[in-house]
Amino acid sequence: MANKSVWSDNRFWQRTAAWVTGFAAVLLIWLTFDTSAQISMGTDADLKDGVTKRVPGPTVINYKITYEMSTKRGHEVPVIGEKEKFFGRDDWSEEEAAELLHLGKLGSQAKNCMDCHTLLGNGAYYAPDLTKAWLDPAWGPEGSLQAMTGKNTKEEAMAEFLQHPSQYPTHERMMPNLGITEKEAIGLVAFLKHMSSIDTNGFPRNFGKMQGAVHGK
Amino acid sequence: MFEPMTDIVPSFFAWLNQGPLTLTIFLHTVIILPMFWIYKQEKNRLENEK
Repeated sequence: MANKSVWSDNRFWQRTAAWVTGFAAVLLIWLTFDTSAQISMGTDADLKDGVTKRVPGPTVINYKITYEMSTKRGHEVPVIGEKEKFFGRDDWSEEEAAELLHLGKLGSQAKNCMDCHTLLGNGAYYAPDLTKAWLDPAWGPEGSLQAMTGKNTKEEAMAEFLQHPSQYPTHERMMPNLGITEKEAIGLVAFLKHMSSIDTNGFPRNFGKMQGAVHGK
Repeated sequence: MFEPMTDIVPSFFAWLNQGPLTLTIFLHTVIILPMFWIYKQEKNRLENEK
């Protein structure tokens, strides 16, 4: 056989395909473990010791969360600050806080928030993205949403709104009344507060451009 | 050309995600370079078969 080309040789392509497939498999398995380590939830001790975790422990609801521009990373990152009262308490234990977050998570699923809202990149864009809703200045002390509910704190205002959303004029697309109870509302607000403390690499991108959303702007 | 590591935790995947160049260099190293090596081996094999 005269001068058979390597390019038309089956064995060359078999070996190349085997190498690429095998290498990609190893890389993806490695990526899976790397990711699970990075998204594992922190603990109360981590928060007290100032250990930075992408997903802080549930007791993060006892702390003030702000959104600050990180020039090094080129986007905003949630910063966990000093203690802050959440529904009148800043001593929620790890068990209590975890229970509250669990209730909020189940509530968000039962009421199907994602039918209209986006949570951590999942859901719809019919209604506002809730990933960083806790940091929205509209719910803050001088915010229009807090003023609308007549409450004095962010968490109470959000809980009040969640229980009677159809009473408050917010947007052309008004939120319907979903029959959320007081307890569920507290859980949902805790769930949202915890979510806002998750380091999402600056997602959603446009949130930091909101007036007053980032500290000092 | 090479961006500094900016991820929250320095890791291999954080490095890989820094920009298009790191990914390109990495994929060429692990896919294209071994292909040259496989190519040479197969060429030798075909020549020896003759």
